[in-house]
Amino acid sequence: MSLNWIARREFLERLRDGRLYWAGGLVLVLLLTALAVGWAHQRDARAEQHAAQAMDYRDWLQQDKRHPHDAAHQGMHAFKPEAALAMMDPGINPYIGSTVWLQAHRQSEVKFNAAQDATGLQRFGNLSVGWILQVLGPLLVIVLGFNAFAGEREQGILRQTLSLGVPPLRLLGGKALALAVSLAVLLVPAAIIATIAVAVGAGPGERLDALLRLAAWAFGYAIYLGIFVFLVLGVSAASSTSRMAITVLLALWIGQAVMAPRVLSELSRAWFPSPTRLEFDQALNAERKAVSDEVWQKNFGTTERWGRDVPLSKWGLALQLDDQSSYAVYDRHYGRLWNTWERQQTVQEWSGLLLPILAIRSFSMGMAGTDFAHHRSFTTEAELHRRDIQDLMSKDLVAHADPLGDRHFAYQAPHELWATVPPFDYHPPGAGWALLHQARSLAVLCVALLLAVAFAAFATVRQRAL
Amino acid sequence: MSMTIPLQPSQGRRLLAVMRQECRLMLAERGLWIVGALFLLLVAYALGNGLLQTAHRDRAQAAVAQADRDTRAAQRVQLEAILAGTAQPTPFQNPADPSRMASSYGGHHAILPTAPLGPVALGQSDLFPSQYEVTNQSRVVFMNPSDIESPWHLMSGHFDLAFVIVYLLPLLIFALSYNLLSAERENGTLRLLLSQPLRLRTLLAGKLSVRAAVLLPVAVLLIARQVGWVDASGDVGGATFWWALLVGAYALFWFALVVAVNAFGASSATNAMVLVIAWVLLVLVAPVLLNLAVTQASPAPSRTELATRQRVVTAEAMKRHADLLSADYQHVGRGAILVPRDGKIEIAGRALAMYAIEREVDEAIRPELDRFEAQQAHQQVLLGRFGVVSPAAVAYEGMTALAGTGARRHARFDAQTVAYHEAWKAFFFPRIEARNALMPTDFDRIPAFAWQEEPASLMRHQAVLAVLQLLLPSLLLFGVAAWRLRRFSVA
Repeated sequence: MSLNWIARREFLERLRDGRLYWAGGLVLVLLLTALAVGWAHQRDARAEQHAAQAMDYRDWLQQDKRHPHDAAHQGMHAFKPEAALAMMDPGINPYIGSTVWLQAHRQSEVKFNAAQDATGLQRFGNLSVGWILQVLGPLLVIVLGFNAFAGEREQGILRQTLSLGVPPLRLLGGKALALAVSLAVLLVPAAIIATIAVAVGAGPGERLDALLRLAAWAFGYAIYLGIFVFLVLGVSAASSTSRMAITVLLALWIGQAVMAPRVLSELSRAWFPSPTRLEFDQALNAERKAVSDEVWQKNFGTTERWGRDVPLSKWGLALQLDDQSSYAVYDRHYGRLWNTWERQQTVQEWSGLLLPILAIRSFSMGMAGTDFAHHRSFTTEAELHRRDIQDLMSKDLVAHADPLGDRHFAYQAPHELWATVPPFDYHPPGAGWALLHQARSLAVLCVALLLAVAFAAFATVRQRAL
Repeated sequence: MSMTIPLQPSQGRRLLAVMRQECRLMLAERGLWIVGALFLLLVAYALGNGLLQTAHRDRAQAAVAQADRDTRAAQRVQLEAILAGTAQPTPFQNPADPSRMASSYGGHHAILPTAPLGPVALGQSDLFPSQYEVTNQSRVVFMNPSDIESPWHLMSGHFDLAFVIVYLLPLLIFALSYNLLSAERENGTLRLLLSQPLRLRTLLAGKLSVRAAVLLPVAVLLIARQVGWVDASGDVGGATFWWALLVGAYALFWFALVVAVNAFGASSATNAMVLVIAWVLLVLVAPVLLNLAVTQASPAPSRTELATRQRVVTAEAMKRHADLLSADYQHVGRGAILVPRDGKIEIAGRALAMYAIEREVDEAIRPELDRFEAQQAHQQVLLGRFGVVSPAAVAYEGMTALAGTGARRHARFDAQTVAYHEAWKAFFFPRIEARNALMPTDFDRIPAFAWQEEPASLMRHQAVLAVLQLLLPSLLLFGVAAWRLRRFSVA
């Protein structure tokens, strides 16, 4: 019996008992709904962010003559561009906000997250293509395949088939192929629609990158679903009855899809605790003060602000020194915090070996450009832009220090100064960068697939004709 | 056949007999022990986790409140020293200057305390801020999420008791009772049982009550006792009572579903499949779709627009006060200018400008913020109306409301923070305008935030509504079951 023949027979059976129609149909409807919603949301968000960013810079350029520090105080906004694949998986975006205020003196955090405007149902999750594939995808595999071996054993067909001399592994291969084809029948059309949506939704310059990301993204999900294909077949082969198989599989599914994300998230936080807001601010402010004092001592020979030793004519210079010394402090503190978060995420990615949902979640967000690494890249870029603004303004202040002797804030910079600040033009990193950042989760998924294949092979080989 | 037996006075006794027998049977089986132990384990973990997280937040809040008090006390000591002439203020750290004390230099936190039932449902306590630093700045600046929390963690949600009950309790109910009648029929024992003077309904009631007795006390009673939520005010008892009722009604819905599915007389395997699919649809899919529908029907105003609007009104206000902004600091070399004289103090031009700008931004941005509040309230109304499509959503919303971690209590906190902000401004603004220096005695009059808990009647009202929204579909399912049981084939 050839592999194809086994697969064709299995596939026909899925069609005949109607499971593929209703279970698959339901998933397909949900997928298309999620895609439509994601697409509409992304289109609106992008148009809005684009307009807001352009208006922000236009207003900056059109400022009247004014004191440079006041301009810096008012600052600019940086709007995080919605990733081209956010329609597939919004990732952490709803929880982290998309607007940074680039203001004087301090590094701002991103504010305005969508979750703060949502109802309590936010806690049940967002409908997205990623969510459906991660949570309902494995369930679909279970529904389609739980009785692949166990059902045949109950009916006595399995023994007959094996007694014909069909190698067990070929049987496994055929059944796996049939399951894969069943899934492909549902998912490939959805993937084509998604590809068109992504290609249309992406800007002209980022289309190729978006499609590369989508390909890698889809590859990740193929591995993820592949893990479940072999896990389901393995459990089905190892179980004496279909009832046993479905019970074990459902228990595994609930454990990984419903419970694991919460448990592991809490465990990883216990392992790598992050500071409270108060602790973070206190530590940051204390170090800023210490560093500032050091700089004043070095440059002005005193730490006393605005006394006889340091008149206000040195205001611009002091500001510049303070700002520039604070950059390293910010980098250290925010770097430490963000590294902690990344460590928490690493714990979860590693647990993907046994709980693949945690690895695919990370991989999916990463390729969609909606994970923390991308967010960090944006925030860092925005902060660098803020520093540029501050440095340019302070430089102008130093150059125009105290023109009248006692009117240090009377100085008004000319119109041309504003144009020396470039627009905030952020381009998210490319697909290669994203893939490199997700190498771990991808490797974990591959190893999990190997484990699942090995388990299924082991369970199948143990089948005996007699 | 069973329905032809007339109601006999002894059905009550038979019910007890069924329950006794069922108990014996279940105790002999491994299933009960496994499910019971698993549930106990999950509840213990969830509860422990809830208590831990809540304690963590409480500690963080206590530290914030303590830092506020310490800062205020130190500022008062400094003010007394300044007035005594033993200390010299600096322009940005001057407790006598009302424009400084009104800013973040003297700002105080509004804190939303944990409700007594808080640990059982963490709800949105991490998404919605439970503390705001109130200053003279516009609330668009300070009323934002300020906690440090990994976004991955925010996305994952919590493993709390509400999660165990909403997601896992139905599955445990299934595990114990998916084959309530089908197994008896498959084993051929149903025919035997019903040849006795026993009504099918009595048999079912007996089987159900034993299973409910295994699961419910763990969820409701043990918790109330273990954590010792007994409060003199009696409010807590109220919340615990409604919590118990809500959990009971939610469990009843799933038991009703089990009975209805069993009444259709399919095989045990089919029953299990149907129940799991119902769970997926009602617990996983329906709330997500409902959330989507609510946000589509009443979309949140754009935060991007708000950010732009904030920038524009700030720029306009800065322009209006350009003169004050270009005024120079006068204190260099003339430190005495920072010290109050005859209850008056000089406020630097730039400080005055900042005060005026913040004040105007706050006024200008208020209508925009009100739109956000109105929209959120509207979403919540929609949710109350259509939540009934998912018992899981109803139960979850009900539980977070009782635990004080839902949207309503948070909206109340926001409203009280706004009121506190108004009081703050009303205290400081006239003093700034009049250049009145703050005196140590004024420190006692600086408004303090005092959280006013929501009235118990409001909580009761929502709980009643949630319980009704759960009872209604349960009754419907029991009705379907009763209708099907009439033609239930024993063979």
